[in-house]
Amino acid sequence: MKFVISSTELLKHLQLIGKVISTKNTLPILDNFLFDLSGNQLQITASDLETTLVTTIDLENVTDEGKVAIPARILMDILKEFPEQPLTFNVDMETLKIDINSENGKYNLTGANAEDFPQLPEIKSEQESHFQLPSAALHQGIGKTIFATADDELRPVMNGIYVELKSDNVTFVATDAHKLVRYRRTDITPEQESAFIFPKKPASLLRNILSKEDAEVDVRFDDKNVQFVLPKYRMISRLTEGNYPSYDSVIPSDNPFKLTIDRLEFYNTIKRVSVFSNQASNLIKLSLKGNQLTVSAQDIDFSVSGRETLNCQYEGDDMEIGFKSSFLQEILANLNASEVLVELSDPSRAGLLYPAEKTEENEDVLMLLMPMMVESETEVE
Amino acid sequence: MKSEERNIVHLDLDSFFVSVERLHNRKLEGKPVIIGGLSDRGVVASCSYEARRFGVHSAMPMRMARQLCGDAVVIRGDMDLYSRYSDMVTDIIDEWAPVYEKASIDEHFLDLTGLERFFGTFRWSRELKRQIVRHTGLPISFGLSLNKTVSKIATGEAKPDGALYVPPSRVKPFLWPLSIRKIPMVGDKTYRLLRSMGVSRIQTLSQVPVEMLEHVLGKNGVALWKKAQGIDPTPVEPYSRAKSIGTERTFQRDTTDVQAMDALLVAMVEQLAHQLRQQRKLTSCVTVKLRYANYDTHTLQKRIAYTAFDHHLMATTRELFRKLYSRRMLVRLLGVRLSGLVHGSQQLNMFEDTRELINLYHSLDAIKQRYGARAIGRAAGYGNPLR
Repeated sequence: MKFVISSTELLKHLQLIGKVISTKNTLPILDNFLFDLSGNQLQITASDLETTLVTTIDLENVTDEGKVAIPARILMDILKEFPEQPLTFNVDMETLKIDINSENGKYNLTGANAEDFPQLPEIKSEQESHFQLPSAALHQGIGKTIFATADDELRPVMNGIYVELKSDNVTFVATDAHKLVRYRRTDITPEQESAFIFPKKPASLLRNILSKEDAEVDVRFDDKNVQFVLPKYRMISRLTEGNYPSYDSVIPSDNPFKLTIDRLEFYNTIKRVSVFSNQASNLIKLSLKGNQLTVSAQDIDFSVSGRETLNCQYEGDDMEIGFKSSFLQEILANLNASEVLVELSDPSRAGLLYPAEKTEENEDVLMLLMPMMVESETEVE
Repeated sequence: MKSEERNIVHLDLDSFFVSVERLHNRKLEGKPVIIGGLSDRGVVASCSYEARRFGVHSAMPMRMARQLCGDAVVIRGDMDLYSRYSDMVTDIIDEWAPVYEKASIDEHFLDLTGLERFFGTFRWSRELKRQIVRHTGLPISFGLSLNKTVSKIATGEAKPDGALYVPPSRVKPFLWPLSIRKIPMVGDKTYRLLRSMGVSRIQTLSQVPVEMLEHVLGKNGVALWKKAQGIDPTPVEPYSRAKSIGTERTFQRDTTDVQAMDALLVAMVEQLAHQLRQQRKLTSCVTVKLRYANYDTHTLQKRIAYTAFDHHLMATTRELFRKLYSRRMLVRLLGVRLSGLVHGSQQLNMFEDTRELINLYHSLDAIKQRYGARAIGRAAGYGNPLR
């Protein structure tokens, strides 16, 4: 088989799908891209067994059809070095010798047998759930939640994003039991109830692709796999099996105290004060009194401390609550709003954070952060 | 002043546990006192000089100690009380000394190098000793010399209630006539080995070719030979508060009762977690120790997210014990240690740490604080045959 392709076009596609290739593959064939030329269409596949990414490129100048596996590392390395130019790939289907002809040169490498490449899993149509959403919405759904996923070998369900389909919305949830994000889109109506747990690694790969593509995404899944189809890309990924914890029951519905504050100011204050927090626990205290918020931290072991006082709007009893500053920073960094609304009830119960004003009509963002225990001074005997 | 010459003091409280007991009970004065486990399988933790005259020494099995000295008053011992007194002594030393190391509950090393330019170091140390005796009422002895080994040996020679200065020029004449047992490194095994080689005095040891010692004792042989020459470069490591807490128990009778051992672990973790919370600390590493009847000792540890909650620690402890207790063999001892301690607050978990649970811990801690650590706890920890 033989085809001519633009060097930068090919590299762009390979870079997006090549990230799935693991550095420590158990199957050597997975160190390759599978090239499949059929008609005028070149289809390239990369996989780590858990996740498979497929991209298609339309070509003009092709001769014959065929399949070959081409070593990924060396192909990417050489493509990175080419300025934009047409490259001619000439594959001898008998010997699997591959010639790449560039403007001034010729490069030879040997491919592997395409038959060794694992088969793509199929979505079982009888168990299939199906919905469509704009790539931007899916991109947001993953991007807003992925930071809150856990790294817990014992509870793999929490290492993924829970995607829950309801008749009138799609909800993305991630939690590591300390922080939780719920991102809901009411403009997508799947008209059926179903859910899947999308592991972190493919979610992050998909996010990369979505950031570069603006299109409608077709999502299909059964109890084992999920498939995302975009015009030029396709991902099939194995799902995490198991039951996702019932996140709804931990979101308090009646936090009475309400704090509204400028997000950036709050974020920057926490960043500064947390320098003085204990490096292991990262505890910062928020003290609310009248319309003032005092953020403080100390590290007894090194006898350092810091505090800042900010003006805010606060409706509620005076209170003091502790949070892990790194978690609070992550949450504030992931809320897109000039002002945030923080709802609190008690120093040992969850705090809720929202954008103070909705920037987008169909979006519903909720972030939850569990506090750290702070002993108020009066309790000390 | 020669730069390599140091001034190291070794302070050791005389029969520390006994002295503390005597502070609380004057009747024990002048009597043979033995502190240690009350059962026959316990060992002597400390004993008074009166008891030592009968041949009792620490680490001796209790049964043997009782046979040697039937009149001795035997006390179970209260480690919390001893720790408090030990801390009192440490506090005084902390106030006085530039650099010090707490080597154990009853001994400290001080590095006074440089101080000799201002004070006589021996006079300074005697003054420190007086202060300690005045504030705590505990007898203490010290040795002063150019390194830790010689100072420690000097303390041993000065005891009880004494002080000994070994100037650099007198180190060899001081050490050489002494038995090799006096070198802190020499335990039973090494002693027997060296005796079988015909070495009994430090002088003889110092004359053995170093290569020969290296051959029989490895690296330790070289260090030992150096010590016999009065050379010991180990520095005084500045003291820091405990980085770990732990507890262990030797059973009355060896057991294979998994249920009882599980229950014992529950009780141990409960006690340690309470201690952690009292000190406002969190742990990040749990170690379980298991000793079989044949003294095969195994430990297993696991790193965890910072916590001070019983239920987190119990789950980990149980998991470790399950992995560790693989052979159906009699177990002699079980222990738990929490390390990687930091000051800090507990990050709450939204699925596990309910408000009720947190309140429960608060209340349990308050009750234990008021009525003692054994006042309340999980039922599993009570009525345990192993306790």
